[in-house]
Amino acid sequence: MEAIHTAGLTKHYGRTVALDSLDLSVRPGEVYGFLGPNGAGKTTTIRLLLGLHRPTAGRARIFGIDAWRDPVRAHRRVAYVAGEPALWPALTAGETLEFLAQLHGGTDTAYRATLVARFELDLRGKVRALSKGNRQKVQLIAALATRADVLLLDEPTSGLDPLMEAVFRDCALQAKQRGQTIFLSSHILSEVEALCDRVGILQAGRLIDQGTLAELRHLRAPTVELTFSGSVPDVRCPPGARVVGTAGNVLRLEVTGNPAAAIAAYADCPVTGVVSREPTLEEIFLRHYSGTGPSVVTRPERERQPSRGG
Amino acid sequence: MPVVGLARQAMRQARTRTMAFVYLFALYAYVQPVGYRGAYPTQTDRHRFATAFAGNTGLRLLYGQPHDVVAVGGYTAWRVGGVLAIAVGLFGVFASVRALRTEEDSGRTELVLTGTVSRASVVAAALAASVSGVAALWLAEFAGFLLGGVPAGGSAYLALATAAVGLVFVGVGALASQLASTGRGALEVGSSAFCLLLLLRILADTVPGAEWVRWLTPLGWAELLRPFAHPQPYVLVLPAAFAAAMCIVAVRVAVGRDIGVGLVSRGNRADPRTRLLSSPVAQALRDQRGALASWIGAVAVFSFLLGVIAHGISSSDLPARTRRQLLKIGAGSVETPTGYLAFLFLFLVLVLSTFACSRIADAARDETEQRLQTLLAQPVSRVAWLGGRAALAAISVVALALTAGVATWAGARTGGVHVGLGQLLEAALNAVPAAVLFLGIVTLAYALTSRGGVALGYAAVIIAFLWNVVGSLFSPPRWVLDLTPFAHVGLVPTQAVRGVAVAVMIVIGVVAAAVAIGVFRHRDVL
Repeated sequence: MEAIHTAGLTKHYGRTVALDSLDLSVRPGEVYGFLGPNGAGKTTTIRLLLGLHRPTAGRARIFGIDAWRDPVRAHRRVAYVAGEPALWPALTAGETLEFLAQLHGGTDTAYRATLVARFELDLRGKVRALSKGNRQKVQLIAALATRADVLLLDEPTSGLDPLMEAVFRDCALQAKQRGQTIFLSSHILSEVEALCDRVGILQAGRLIDQGTLAELRHLRAPTVELTFSGSVPDVRCPPGARVVGTAGNVLRLEVTGNPAAAIAAYADCPVTGVVSREPTLEEIFLRHYSGTGPSVVTRPERERQPSRGG
Repeated sequence: MPVVGLARQAMRQARTRTMAFVYLFALYAYVQPVGYRGAYPTQTDRHRFATAFAGNTGLRLLYGQPHDVVAVGGYTAWRVGGVLAIAVGLFGVFASVRALRTEEDSGRTELVLTGTVSRASVVAAALAASVSGVAALWLAEFAGFLLGGVPAGGSAYLALATAAVGLVFVGVGALASQLASTGRGALEVGSSAFCLLLLLRILADTVPGAEWVRWLTPLGWAELLRPFAHPQPYVLVLPAAFAAAMCIVAVRVAVGRDIGVGLVSRGNRADPRTRLLSSPVAQALRDQRGALASWIGAVAVFSFLLGVIAHGISSSDLPARTRRQLLKIGAGSVETPTGYLAFLFLFLVLVLSTFACSRIADAARDETEQRLQTLLAQPVSRVAWLGGRAALAAISVVALALTAGVATWAGARTGGVHVGLGQLLEAALNAVPAAVLFLGIVTLAYALTSRGGVALGYAAVIIAFLWNVVGSLFSPPRWVLDLTPFAHVGLVPTQAVRGVAVAVMIVIGVVAAAVAIGVFRHRDVL
């Protein structure tokens, strides 16, 4: 049985289409990266998976359980980290962990203590006085300590410093090794590259691409950087290549055709170095969101404004 | 002008609350003089009315000291001035705490201050917005009087006597916002101050020889201004000076302190206490402990005092005609101490219903501040959450009612009135079914619209109450009066408990709550 499965999952908010017929499946033990710009529908997808919002059409299942119909049973197998931590201001960090553990059940308290130490969380601080990063740590520790089958993580490292991001990656990899399924919504590409087996790219409510990192890399031509001893020569760009930039005496080419032809065009020039590399996910990402697909700004996600004062 | 822009923005945010009060003030001010003319058309009627009320401690306690009630103006001043002074006082505290501390608590003030606006202007803008709210209420009250046919000059002055109270409490709210670190804390400080000052006014109006106490409270100043009966406009210096002084102090404190922190700041670190964390409802109880204690404390103090005062109610036989007149203003049984206590328990219905709304408002805040998502992403059912919060509210309502019963009894005994504890507990519990009804309604309103639903609940309570108080002045058909639940609350202990009405109210409340839970299961959570 699949850990996460959606079929034709659609959500409209009034006339806004937040999610348009999403088909997803994530196998148990898989780490799935869910990428997309702000407002693409990532958070909406997670809310539908959790049964917090009702699908306009289609269905979402976690281990075969429809969370809209049977949230309690579905949530026993899930731990969730929200992008915007909304906790109880009057509780301390430690009390919050205790409360969330009581609600979820099955928390591994020894592991929790380890996590608290690794994330260097001060348990005595009141939530109202914690920085966003520290509130994020509280959520992460609570979620990881449940050892739930599925971790739904919505931009889990927002607000964390680079050291803590590294701790998070480490813990996520451990969870992966233990066979937990991770659904990681993010726009931090290096994080997704480091952790995920498969990646889906969401834009304006539609899944526009999906595959393993290796598969997605084929979408983008390699980049060839040529360094010259003098200034960049004025040579006509060969067919099958495109100049994407020059910096000093370095010329950067995007090669879509035969690389040999491209390099041959510069054979008579004083080349001192050649570097060819695979595109980063960032480059793939940028290509998907500039030019080809529909405009990114047409369907904004519902606004989420934390207003603590009330 | 950034200050003007900020003040506008603050007024916009308070728009719904301000408009609700504006309509309430205009309507209340219009209805009283019109009703008076209808109920007491001739001078003889009015004289008879005046003699019946001259010495009635119970009514003085509620409406303040009467002056010259044989004229429309004097009567209006007495009936409207006292009640609206209380309303405008609460409005003032709310308006300035919301505009100052709640804004700061939300982090928005910090954002504004990173721009090119000074701290003093930010505070000044918030105060200006609150004061303009009070000004709107002055205008609404004035317009209501004019439409009701009260002379213009006197109307303006009477409305000013009310509005002056509002100004002072804007200052009180501003100071409370400097003391406490959270919006909730500031509201608690501000409303405690309000309760204290209201108690002083009640003492001044009911305890012989304590008239001088009136000078100590803004609510007393409104009476000392004496609209329509030997006006003493120089008294206006007091509210003006105090409001200005408190606002200036608030600005000075605000300019000199750290943003986001009050002068009296509870520590931000604490050792863990793991009691009451086993379920969402347990945690809600833990979170509300402070608020519950404040409500119970306030109800206990007021009930005790009202119990003590019951002794002063004239128990001499009143002629049947006077009794009928008492009925006309909806105070049918205030001629004996026990009857007066029974009448007071009608106000307990109002208090309990408002309290019930405030509990659901607390639950609604969990949703608007997105904590509910955190909660419902756990294996917690929506039915358990909302049902639990409604049940917690119902239990708290009963606890508050019992507190009122015991405290009133203790007060009455202290004052020398012989009334049984059982009788007053029964009277107090008799106030619960109507509160349960409103609890059901507000829960349903919240389930239907997470934003604004609770406000509808509060509105329902206030309209139903005024319907009962004001409606009888116009001698409308019986069924019109019967539309409000307040008309179906028996005046226990003078009258018997109305079993059918009690059952109907509880059933409606429970059914509404059940429908609410059904609706809530099927909607998107914010």
